[in-house]
Amino acid sequence: MPEIKVTPLGAGQDVGRSCILVSIGGKNIMLDCGMHMGYNDDRRFPDFSYITQNGRLTDFLDCLIISHFHLDHCGALPYMSEMVGYDGPIYMTHPTKAICPILLEDFRKITVDKKGETNFFTSQMIKDCMKKVIPLNLHQTVQVDDELEIKAYYAGHVLGAAMVHIKVGSESVVYTGDYNMTPDRHLGAAWIDKCRPDILISESTYATTIRDSKRCRERDFLKKVHESIERGGKVLIPVFALGRAQELCILLETFWERMNLKAPIYFSTGLTEKANHYYKLFITWTNQKIRKTFVQRNMFEFKHIKAFDRSYADNPGPMVVFATPGMLHAGQSLQIFKKWAGNEKNMVIMPGYCVQGTIGHKILNGQRKLEMEGRAQNGPLLDVKLQVEYMSFSAHADAKGIMQLIRMAEPRNMLLVHGEAVKMEFLKGKIEQEFSIDCYMPANGETTTVTTNPSVPVDISLNLLKREMALGGPLPDPKKPRTMHGTLIMKENSLKLVSSEQALKELGLNEHQLRFTCHVQLQDPHSDADTLHRIYTHLKSVLKGYTIQHLPDGTVIVESIVIKVSSSAEDSNTKVLLLSWSYQVIIEPLLKKSFLYPAVLANPPLKSDVISSFWVQTLLQFPDSNKHCGITES
Amino acid sequence: GGLTFTFDCSAQNHVTSKLSFTVFYVKLYTEIHKPFSFRYKDLHVYQLEHPTQVLEWTSGNSVCVAGYSQSKNEILELRLPLKLLADENKSLCAERDFKVSHGGFTDGPVRCLTHIPGTRCAVTNDGLSSDLQVWDLGGEESDVIRRTGSIKGKRSASERGSRIAARPSSAPQVLHGAQISDVQLTELASGETLYKLETDSADPLSSLQFVSDTVFLAGCCNGSVYVADTRTSAPPQLSHSPSSAESVIWWTDAAAGPHPSSRRVIRVSSSGQAVVSDLRNLGGAGCQAQLDVQTPGRCSQVKVSWAPTLDDCISVSGFSGVVQIYNTRLWGAEPQEARPLFEHRGHAVSSQQTDDSVPTFVTSHIWHPERPRTLLSAASDGSVHVWDWVDPNRQGGSPTP
Repeated sequence: MPEIKVTPLGAGQDVGRSCILVSIGGKNIMLDCGMHMGYNDDRRFPDFSYITQNGRLTDFLDCLIISHFHLDHCGALPYMSEMVGYDGPIYMTHPTKAICPILLEDFRKITVDKKGETNFFTSQMIKDCMKKVIPLNLHQTVQVDDELEIKAYYAGHVLGAAMVHIKVGSESVVYTGDYNMTPDRHLGAAWIDKCRPDILISESTYATTIRDSKRCRERDFLKKVHESIERGGKVLIPVFALGRAQELCILLETFWERMNLKAPIYFSTGLTEKANHYYKLFITWTNQKIRKTFVQRNMFEFKHIKAFDRSYADNPGPMVVFATPGMLHAGQSLQIFKKWAGNEKNMVIMPGYCVQGTIGHKILNGQRKLEMEGRAQNGPLLDVKLQVEYMSFSAHADAKGIMQLIRMAEPRNMLLVHGEAVKMEFLKGKIEQEFSIDCYMPANGETTTVTTNPSVPVDISLNLLKREMALGGPLPDPKKPRTMHGTLIMKENSLKLVSSEQALKELGLNEHQLRFTCHVQLQDPHSDADTLHRIYTHLKSVLKGYTIQHLPDGTVIVESIVIKVSSSAEDSNTKVLLLSWSYQVIIEPLLKKSFLYPAVLANPPLKSDVISSFWVQTLLQFPDSNKHCGITES
Repeated sequence: GGLTFTFDCSAQNHVTSKLSFTVFYVKLYTEIHKPFSFRYKDLHVYQLEHPTQVLEWTSGNSVCVAGYSQSKNEILELRLPLKLLADENKSLCAERDFKVSHGGFTDGPVRCLTHIPGTRCAVTNDGLSSDLQVWDLGGEESDVIRRTGSIKGKRSASERGSRIAARPSSAPQVLHGAQISDVQLTELASGETLYKLETDSADPLSSLQFVSDTVFLAGCCNGSVYVADTRTSAPPQLSHSPSSAESVIWWTDAAAGPHPSSRRVIRVSSSGQAVVSDLRNLGGAGCQAQLDVQTPGRCSQVKVSWAPTLDDCISVSGFSGVVQIYNTRLWGAEPQEARPLFEHRGHAVSSQQTDDSVPTFVTSHIWHPERPRTLLSAASDGSVHVWDWVDPNRQGGSPTP
């Protein structure tokens, strides 16, 4: 049976390393190529040796698709393509293609320039890798090769995030990447066709979560910023990647406008500024409201938010600064943090996750005295007096969102990508109950195999169809399956169904007659002739409406079935019945009388053992016959 | 916010305009006075897929909810957000979502759900008969809530379903019944009846609860209250309804404080009448009030509850889309109109219900057992709010922007 195999090499978690292998219709596709932010060793990249130990990945993969620019979905890309070796096509959307290299370069700088790691990809490798990228447009079907086609759908989550429909023949898989089923301030909600894929592979980051409302989240964020500004403090917001920074900018801009606030808001040069440029460039990827207002005013050109200069950090009075990077591990955000940390009126708001080892991680764990990098050991510690706030703004689908997407796409199977050992038996049960489909949750390295039922077109000869019509019964209904007899010929990539006579003729073969025989033993003290006569009378009584003949040569013939009786050599009381019949469809009506009929229909063509057991059943009802009834088959 | 008015100041109607302005101002003042004086320390707003009529603690940080649609429903055990429960370093905690820790499926509606203290077991009733369903809430190894048994009730079909009460005991047992003459204590494992309330009255029950390890209180829809002890078969102590008015329904709650003096009973009627009496002397004079509620309201599901840690405070919901907190200390011997100390209007204000013809109403609410001013409330639009309110008389909360 044809099947689709899915093997996750990394988890679909916030900080995991998303990487999923799909084998479909003889094609191998890799979905995402992420890195794990929590590790500094080999574990940060997916284990590509799972695919091949020594060969080049190009020989094993037909294509690689990147869902969005977050590093846990694309961070291992240059490593895979330039260091492990992959020259095949890499697909991603236009915004992802534009933003992904910036993030990779930023990440490389931190790892190599700041942390001093050596065995890492270079700037040139990022450039070379990006040369292999083929951009995708939404809803555009892209032919990877003659058989494999892919199509991208809008996923919300971050700018340029896409879900992808992968199709080979009539088999297909949808991979969601990270997605969001509710629109936010700058992006729309995920959407997909009723494409009925064989498998829907969905992220499940918030699958067991019921989220606090966005309004409460935003209100608390604004309340904190406002409180700090009111008491004359400075607010630092280190931003992780692009996505949420824009969301928070729009939020503060609107709030400043509404409350008529005067304190300045800045965003640091670098990532955020570049990102705003890309948002302007890819305005079609934002939500409807932003696109509409864009005609009058670009929502990403802020009235209250201005570019930051490092000298501003020493200015007196309240201010809000968005600065990169998000985990306070280097760069501008760290510089500002050091300047402001000593004043309890100030505040730092961490809007995302921080990796172990970063200043961000330390202050979120309540550490109040920090050793600064580059300072002598036992040097003065940085006293953290400012207020630390942790808020999460990530946009993922929750259980309700996952159910909504299933309703939209109507998959035949569901697969939740989840590397962690979190039990989601209830969600699995809910999906299986509500949609009557199977739900899988493979662990990393574990393969899920789904059998598919692809429809295969076959040519049928007109003669065969006419003969089928002549047999009677209802006319063929294109919507209902119907059994028919014929010979399937597979020749030069085409399939046709013809009558057996025609098949013989075309293949130049002679016709063979198949005859089945079986022996049934019974205990009967009468003579052979008497036994045969008794069987004749018995069959006459039970098989009414059939032609039953007792021939003078000592045989009973029921339709085309021949019955002979002989005595056993050792014991004259043991009679051996020889049953013999040729393979013919005509036997079917005979079997209709028996409960065996459905079993026979379920196992076409008729099997000799089914027929012989039918006869054993019939003969067992033979009066006076001893129940020692054995059967041997020839 | 500032208000601007434009007037047509022609000589003829100048006086009338001024007059109507004054009236309008007074009205506006009273409207504004109420909502703007309420402050929250915390407010979290959640949306369930289906509305719930039950809210029941299974531990200090987990609560059970369940759907009440006619066919299939879900029972969910939700873990409260860490941010809400954190007292120290609250600002360092970003976790403000509910986590579905366990879930299961039911064949019918869930109108009543009681957790048996000290166990991972819950008992439900569908409101259609007095039969009970018994559930295993699941443990560490599984996140599935499974039905493990049932208890046959006395009424196969009844107008209102059974009320259920539980208490800690070595062998799990529940007190249950749809009407006062049905009340019995059943052991879950054996299905054996351990106790039966001796009475002939067929009054339907609206409330049933233990006030101590052995003493329980059964409140009837007509307002009468029975107090009995499961150790004796002696006839129960009966307190008649505070009013003789027909067609009003009464709901009851007893404060189960450690001191006998704190054991008081409140009765609230569908017409908004509230009566507080001493549990030791139910017939004696108590204090009372006319609550500031919408009547006749949609009061099929009124819930009244004593605050577990605040003295004299009660909460009331079910009349409309709000949950109210009253201080009963301010009430007198005569029924006077009482103003709520606090009013949570969130369900009515932020309702996502699209059909405006049916206003959102609160289906249930519950106090946190330890955190003094934290409540959970649920409404007919599927919303669940967790809120920590600020007592307007003891300012200290910060204004919301």
